[in-house]
Amino acid sequence: MSLQTDSRNFSERTTDGLGDSFMRSAVGSAQDSLKTRRLSAATALGDWEQWRNVGQLIRQHTLENLDYYLEQLAGNIERQGGHIYFAATKEEASSYIRDVIMRKQATKIVKSKSMVTEEIELNRVLLEAGCELTETDLGEYILQMDDWDPPSHIVAPALHKDRRQIKRVFTEKLGYTGDETPEKLAGFARTVLRQKFLEAEVGITGCNFAIANLGAINLVTNEGNGDLTAAIPKTHIAVMGMERIVPTLEEMEVLDNLLCRSAVGQKLTSYITVMGPSSAGETDGPEEFHLVVVDNGRSDILGSEFNEALQCIRCGACLNVCPIYRHIGGHAYGSIYPGPIGAVITPLLGGYDDYKELPFASSLCGACTDVCPVRIPLHEQLIVHRQKIVEQKRTGTADRIQMKAASKLLSSPALFGKTLRFAHSASRMMSKQGRIVRGPALLQGWIRSRDLKQPVRQKDSFRAWLEQRKGGSEQ
Amino acid sequence: MTVTTNKSANRNTNKEAFLNTIASKLGRERRTEVQRPAIQEFIPDSYGPLTTDDLVEILKEQCFFIHTQVIESTPEILQQTLSDLIEANGGGTVMLSGDRRFNEYGLAFPDAAVWEETAGRVENIRRAESANTAIVFADCALAESGTVVLESRPDQGRSLHFLPAHYIAVIERRRLVLRSTQAAAELNRRIQAGEPVGSAIQFISGPSNSADIEMKLVVGVHGPLRATYVLI
Repeated sequence: MSLQTDSRNFSERTTDGLGDSFMRSAVGSAQDSLKTRRLSAATALGDWEQWRNVGQLIRQHTLENLDYYLEQLAGNIERQGGHIYFAATKEEASSYIRDVIMRKQATKIVKSKSMVTEEIELNRVLLEAGCELTETDLGEYILQMDDWDPPSHIVAPALHKDRRQIKRVFTEKLGYTGDETPEKLAGFARTVLRQKFLEAEVGITGCNFAIANLGAINLVTNEGNGDLTAAIPKTHIAVMGMERIVPTLEEMEVLDNLLCRSAVGQKLTSYITVMGPSSAGETDGPEEFHLVVVDNGRSDILGSEFNEALQCIRCGACLNVCPIYRHIGGHAYGSIYPGPIGAVITPLLGGYDDYKELPFASSLCGACTDVCPVRIPLHEQLIVHRQKIVEQKRTGTADRIQMKAASKLLSSPALFGKTLRFAHSASRMMSKQGRIVRGPALLQGWIRSRDLKQPVRQKDSFRAWLEQRKGGSEQ
Repeated sequence: MTVTTNKSANRNTNKEAFLNTIASKLGRERRTEVQRPAIQEFIPDSYGPLTTDDLVEILKEQCFFIHTQVIESTPEILQQTLSDLIEANGGGTVMLSGDRRFNEYGLAFPDAAVWEETAGRVENIRRAESANTAIVFADCALAESGTVVLESRPDQGRSLHFLPAHYIAVIERRRLVLRSTQAAAELNRRIQAGEPVGSAIQFISGPSNSADIEMKLVVGVHGPLRATYVLI
């Protein structure tokens, strides 16, 4: 799957999301529990705001000196006998990985969850090359078994599925015969996947942060699949977005604390591992280690007005507080990166042609900006996107005419007053039982999922009432 | 502090073009020397001075939340404590790391498998996969997060911590520190001094788990089903 997960238009995707009552209740309760857990873990750290400052400082310092740290990383990986490959495009990245695997004549591949490998369409490329590929993160494995259903959350990819759906997938695809308790389902996946690990020739992982002065990568997980992916196969290929790097373990430690608390409300997740090519005498871990550093549009963001979006550490906290994500769900964004951060970076990586609606999928309430552990001004970046989209006249003609009319109306008190006076009678044709049910495009979006009251008669209006009160008090 | 670039690194044109693009987008020449910000000065300390007993209390409280049993033992009764735990896990095969502390504390598990360099990859992984309980010694432990820190070595593979069904880590009280901040600082000191570190440094906090199905916590997914820390 590429950056794009759904080629239908935004309106069709959101209609799907709004109509999926199971998904909406699953997302709602997940948001509530993750929000509470994040808050208590953040409070427990003490002086959370200061920790966020340190997180922001580290990310900004690293981005400002990105070329330096990447060069240092490359030197340290090669010094240990590892390989590092710099890929300017997604095609370069996925072909390099395919070629490594072909050279080894390997076919059995295990993968642990990684967003950037989705972005570079690695699975498609490897499946076309005839590889037998297994996603080993429980959520990702469920999605793979369900004919590669796209992920809907950065941290919990199968959030939109319930246990009955998962049981059905396992039963149909794997001959599962147990019940639908999460313990039984997970236990079954453990047994199937354990065998895959033991047979695997190549392991592919993402990378939470690369450590420049050590020449290693850091993985932050709970299930243990990331570690097994990097321990058992003789070859380990790690893939990272070029901005996911820290100078030393000290910066990694701060960011991992922010990440774990923000993502899942844990102090540290069960497994935080720093890993590189195996040293002499060690008998597991990779004999051959490759790190693929991916640009794929990121350098165009660097130094632009969206530079701060590159601070992102992919915790998903902004998704968990977003009122829009709550209602339309992850799939409606049509991108592997949903939610507020997705609405900022998807148009940057994939262009406005396909994603011009995403920056408008926000109420600009700023909840995302408030929780971001590295202080990305998310809602302000959405406003910058909107300005650009409007300046480039990418909004629809009908929208533009209506916005122009609205701006005329709202900037003239006389015209506004007159319009109010006739609002009730003018809206009669569009209303039913005191509610507006039909209207021009701008209204449609609102009334599709919400009630809009018909304006009251002039004599019942607030202004008329106020005039009357004033008159009354003068007597 | 200043970190210098390894100039002897192989240069490839791909890399040069990639890094030149970054520098040009940042509107400057390539950088060859950078000063790291002194982040330690900004990190808040919300605990103040703590004794080892305080750290033990913090560790025990945290382990309750991460489904990890903490047993307080002593060097004198360690053998018995571990034997009891193996039994409680249902017996079966035990696998040990080759840590010299097993000898130093006079521990003996006659039928146990051991992770050894001479056994090689396939055999070590086979032993770990068929073991019911793994026993290791922590290099250091973090009270706040309930974490044991272990480096990979010829006598202690990476997958030893993941393949056996049950996991026991012995923690010497004097190796207990407050949080990951102290562990990261010490590891980084060693790295900058050019001292060797394991090719994998694992921070392990309790058993493996997942909440991928309906956000319900399942303990025991790919790694161990149960984790126990023994404090001595």
